[in-house]
Amino acid sequence: MADRGRQYLILADEDLISLVEASDAEAFATLYDRHGRAAFSLAYRMMGERQASEDLAQDAFLKVWRNAGSYRAERGSVRTWILSIVHNRGIDQLRSHASRRRTQDKIEATAPRSQPSEAFAETWCNSQREHVREALNTLPSDQLKILELAYFSGYTHVEISELLSLPLGTVKGRMRLGLKKIRNFFESRGAAVPR
Amino acid sequence: MSEMNNERFEDLKDAYVLDALPEEERRSFEEYLAGHPERQAELDELAAVAGLLAFAPHEQEAPPELRRKVMEVVEAEAAPRRGRRESVFARFLGYIGTRSLAFGAAALLLIGLLSWNLLLQGLVENLQGEVRNAQGQVNDLQAQVRDEQDQQTQTIALGGTWADQGADAEVASINEDRIILVADGLPSVPEGQTCQIWVIKGDVPEPSGLFHPGGDETAAPITTPVKKGDTIAVTVEPAGGSEQPTSDPVLSAEL
Repeated sequence: MADRGRQYLILADEDLISLVEASDAEAFATLYDRHGRAAFSLAYRMMGERQASEDLAQDAFLKVWRNAGSYRAERGSVRTWILSIVHNRGIDQLRSHASRRRTQDKIEATAPRSQPSEAFAETWCNSQREHVREALNTLPSDQLKILELAYFSGYTHVEISELLSLPLGTVKGRMRLGLKKIRNFFESRGAAVPR
Repeated sequence: MSEMNNERFEDLKDAYVLDALPEEERRSFEEYLAGHPERQAELDELAAVAGLLAFAPHEQEAPPELRRKVMEVVEAEAAPRRGRRESVFARFLGYIGTRSLAFGAAALLLIGLLSWNLLLQGLVENLQGEVRNAQGQVNDLQAQVRDEQDQQTQTIALGGTWADQGADAEVASINEDRIILVADGLPSVPEGQTCQIWVIKGDVPEPSGLFHPGGDETAAPITTPVKKGDTIAVTVEPAGGSEQPTSDPVLSAEL
């Protein structure tokens, strides 16, 4: 087994991204192995089917490979950066296929939900996920639903207001309160928001 | 649309970090931001909160063919540049080698100086001392690298049915607090299944990470702290993992 490959495993993400910037494919493979699952999970949550999720994740990782130099450590972790690329590309794709998803999302958006945590009731495999899950579980379902429609389904606030038949001001207010509650969750525990 | 000002910025910033502004409003918001860079930090903080939503989705195993497809492109694009750019490790080793050569040259220069002019002896002695010190530092550095490598390569081979079939799997202890399972030649597992790592303390197995065999080499962190006498085992489980093992271990080793 290659010792060299093993040496990459002990490097921090920030070191790996510097190597990726210098076209080191092995460093990139290590980053993929660390974050591929989270990236694919987000892609799947946004696209809702396997092939489109694979295409999105592939597109995003190739952007990571080709644009590693644009990573800025002061703006957040490498993991957050990779996920933001998946998210941005996903939003672009969702908006270009907006009409196709509208009907399905309307059904989902209006369906009653027993618990705000329903969408997140799965096994979490690390403490960061656990904390995020706990934070999201503190949100009332109407706030969580609006955050989900915006973040995962790519709807604008105007579209959400139409979709849910709510005044635009209410949609904005729930977005604001939802984000504030997530931040308060971490601050009340004396922890910084993970970046 | 209303003109962008501080009040409107406040009104729209949450939708902005959620990517929920219509195109025209987003452009207007960003133009305002460009003219008020002092608001960027505040916006970055808010974006970090919104970015946490990315961690929310149910974990899905990425298909192995996705890795293969991505790496095919990456390898193809990296190849032409390989000759021009070395890895950090290669650069580091090169640095050590260059330093050795440099000190060798310095030593030769000292000999020349000694035979050329004894009047310079005092200076030469000083230089020799510096070279010895520097060479000592290089030796220390090399020893440190060797120690580091020894530490990194502390491994225990895993046995079991997959090892009998030719898989090469090891548990690698890295810097005491990081334990990683590294494997080559693992058989693939059927769709809807995954490999789960267990740390068995006494008779109690603790779930300690999931991985999907893929590519030439598989590496997965072991998430439970281990100590001597624990057993590391790998079983094949339904996707998403199990709370208790539901099949016999395919790989295992006692630490």
